[in-house]
Amino acid sequence: MLLRNIIQRSLTKVRVNVQLQLERRNATVASPVTLDENVVRPEAKELSKSDQKFNSLQQRFVYPEFLPNPTLEWRNPIREKLERIDMMRRRSQVDLPEFYVGSILAVTSSTQHAVSKQTRFLGICIKREGCGLRASFVLRNVIDHIGIEIRYFLYDPKILKLDVIKLEKRLDDELYYLRDALPEYSTFPEDMEPEILPDGMPIPINTTKVVMKPRPWYARWERTHFQGINRELMMTHVSEKMKMQIPLHEKPWEKYDLMKQYRSTIPEEEQKDIFAEVDSELHKLELLRKKQKRKRAFVKPLKSS
Amino acid sequence: MAGICNRLLGLNSFKGLKVFESTVLQHGCDCFAVTQFSGQVRHKGPPKPKLRFPLWYLQKTRVNYPEKITPENREFIKEVGYEKFGPPAVISGISTFQTNSPLKDQPLQKGVWTPKSRRCGLITRKIGLYPMWSKSGEPVWTTLLQVVDNHVVKYIPPEEYDPARKSVVYRKNHSLGVLLVGAESCDPQKFTREYCGLFAPAGLPPKRVLGRFFVSPDAALQPGTPLGAMHFRPGDVVDVVGKTKDRGFQGVMKRWGFKGMPGSHGVTKTHRRGGNIGGGGEKGRVWPGTKMPGHMGNRTRYLRGLKIWRINTKYNVLYVQGLGVPGGTNSIVYIHDTCLPLRKIKDESKAPPFPTYDPSVDDDLPDDLYDPEIHPLDSPSISFEEAKK
Amino acid sequence: MDLLRLGVRKFHSTPSCNHIIKMSRLRVVDNSAIGKEAMAEGRPPKVIHVYTKTGVGTIGDKVLMAIKGEKKKGILVGVKKHQPANIPKFDTNNVVLIDDSGTPLGTRIHAPVPHLLRTILKERTIAKKCDYSKLIAIAPRFV
Repeated sequence: MLLRNIIQRSLTKVRVNVQLQLERRNATVASPVTLDENVVRPEAKELSKSDQKFNSLQQRFVYPEFLPNPTLEWRNPIREKLERIDMMRRRSQVDLPEFYVGSILAVTSSTQHAVSKQTRFLGICIKREGCGLRASFVLRNVIDHIGIEIRYFLYDPKILKLDVIKLEKRLDDELYYLRDALPEYSTFPEDMEPEILPDGMPIPINTTKVVMKPRPWYARWERTHFQGINRELMMTHVSEKMKMQIPLHEKPWEKYDLMKQYRSTIPEEEQKDIFAEVDSELHKLELLRKKQKRKRAFVKPLKSS
Repeated sequence: MAGICNRLLGLNSFKGLKVFESTVLQHGCDCFAVTQFSGQVRHKGPPKPKLRFPLWYLQKTRVNYPEKITPENREFIKEVGYEKFGPPAVISGISTFQTNSPLKDQPLQKGVWTPKSRRCGLITRKIGLYPMWSKSGEPVWTTLLQVVDNHVVKYIPPEEYDPARKSVVYRKNHSLGVLLVGAESCDPQKFTREYCGLFAPAGLPPKRVLGRFFVSPDAALQPGTPLGAMHFRPGDVVDVVGKTKDRGFQGVMKRWGFKGMPGSHGVTKTHRRGGNIGGGGEKGRVWPGTKMPGHMGNRTRYLRGLKIWRINTKYNVLYVQGLGVPGGTNSIVYIHDTCLPLRKIKDESKAPPFPTYDPSVDDDLPDDLYDPEIHPLDSPSISFEEAKK
Repeated sequence: MDLLRLGVRKFHSTPSCNHIIKMSRLRVVDNSAIGKEAMAEGRPPKVIHVYTKTGVGTIGDKVLMAIKGEKKKGILVGVKKHQPANIPKFDTNNVVLIDDSGTPLGTRIHAPVPHLLRTILKERTIAKKCDYSKLIAIAPRFV
């Protein structure tokens, strides 16, 4: 009897999660039209009550590192709480704005190898990973025709400033395929002008499809389903034998594996509790950031002669 | 009903064992398991039992048969428990009872710390790992150990302590007493009355976990004394003991890190096997201690010389150096002052809180205490300046 | 396209793992005559010895290379290998040719160099024996 209850409960949770995941997929992958409906940025308008509810669910995309690792045997509520407290402490010292895989960032940091100097690295974010204080991201840029990648811990106290140069999303959750794409897709000038997204605008999705270099590659990209790769052109570099192997490595059943999705996500109720704990402070920081942004966006009017 | 009340109050529950309480004998080795020992009996008189369990080695859990109790009586039992142990409360993140004044007798006289003193340890739960950063900008990976509702249950002075199996250490140093420490208060109804009776003299609710620590007599503590994370200070060096993760029956490659054999080039059926296990001729046998497949993990393991980088006083959490503390997340870890001779405290001016931290000394403790080398995350970002000449 | 590929050999002498070990091919990033020629010919230098205890080279390690039929020493100034946080990982294994005293053969480096190299080479500089300060001085930019 009890067992049945438990199973029923877990299945309802699964359903919620699948819904969330589908929503998320819409938000990240689907065309911009559906995005307009789904992603409304928090500062969009005066929030009504239903919007606020919606908003707390949106936070998981803006601050994904606040959600703990869903692996059950690694979880502990007190450790997670302590970790969140530490994260908020760091956030009170440095502005860590919202960004996504595909956004262009510039990190100003200090290093013990160059005393009394600051280093700045600008590049496209190709990966975001880790939960809590160990959250990290990888930036990639091509400087002097040589591709360079640097991984940063988001909460590293050596980071002095994190600027979002261009806030946008790509079609995929990780962009490691840029390593094997033509260099022009990961080349960004160091002195790129920051583009400030107006308040209330949905985050644009960059739908560029990159052209791959001939093999050898870092991974078997022809076996993956990344949306951001120009598949037709990529297949010209792939031999007939490799093409024949593609269907052998497909796992079409995985999208129906409810338990896998359940195990890899935090239930919605827990997400709400977590964000309820840090929401007020995050909101304060967001207001502060908005104020500074307005200052930056202000351009001195030209004298009309 | 009477049985339940007895369990709650721990009344007369100890009779059977009290017979040889005065001659209670424990094993002297450092591990927590009980070992069998059968020696030749040379003395006259009634022979001592060959196998003697430690005092606290009692039947812990009971058969959970349905007790037909009315809801009113159930409430009453709860009330009796709360009267005895205090109302239920969440103290520093752990659900326990708000014990009013556990100390029944006068506290023992405080000793003075000397380099030879040996203090009590703590029972902690490993709650996870996360990085901190040092002031030189390097990541410091730490293990978080939460001190879970620790109380002293019993003190056995060295004169009364007589273990069944006398180890070399015991024979050399006969001057150590034993402190029994319990962690995580529980509902008494879960346990047998013998087990509950172990805690009755100290006025404590039964604890889920027990640990034993050898202490010098000057570091003895009154039963019922609560122990917290402030027993240590940031910068102290500790040893930890825990049970490693159980990995089951494993082959030599995983268990001992053997290289295995090639995947091809004519190799058949021996890709992950150990190969030869001994020579022939005069030594034609398998030597003891040969590395072979077998059960891996679930062993008590020590990790010594770990520095405490930070202490959270609100949740009683110790941030200990490194990622190698044995056991998985949420497993029990015992922690005590280090016994490494070069890392022990020898200077009397750096004496630790003795015999334990006295909470009445300072009321306003900050939530977090850091080692001076650690960069607190609420201080400004690190920037490197040239050293002044 | 397929016709073109027929002429290309399908295997690479550089192992797929990104370790710099013996027989790895490197990319010369200075303007020394021999290095420039070797890269232009499409015959990049091959490592014939790594001066470390493990035999695997990383940033700042000295290697011995076979380049255009000669033996030359070089310093690794950027590697493909997975790196810890805040240290750049390059798409190619970059090397700067040096002579026995640590002076670079070229006069310019045309690739960014990790900050870490500064500390490592400072430690490895031995007075009047090998001096890497020249190499650091000609590095155009640090990342």
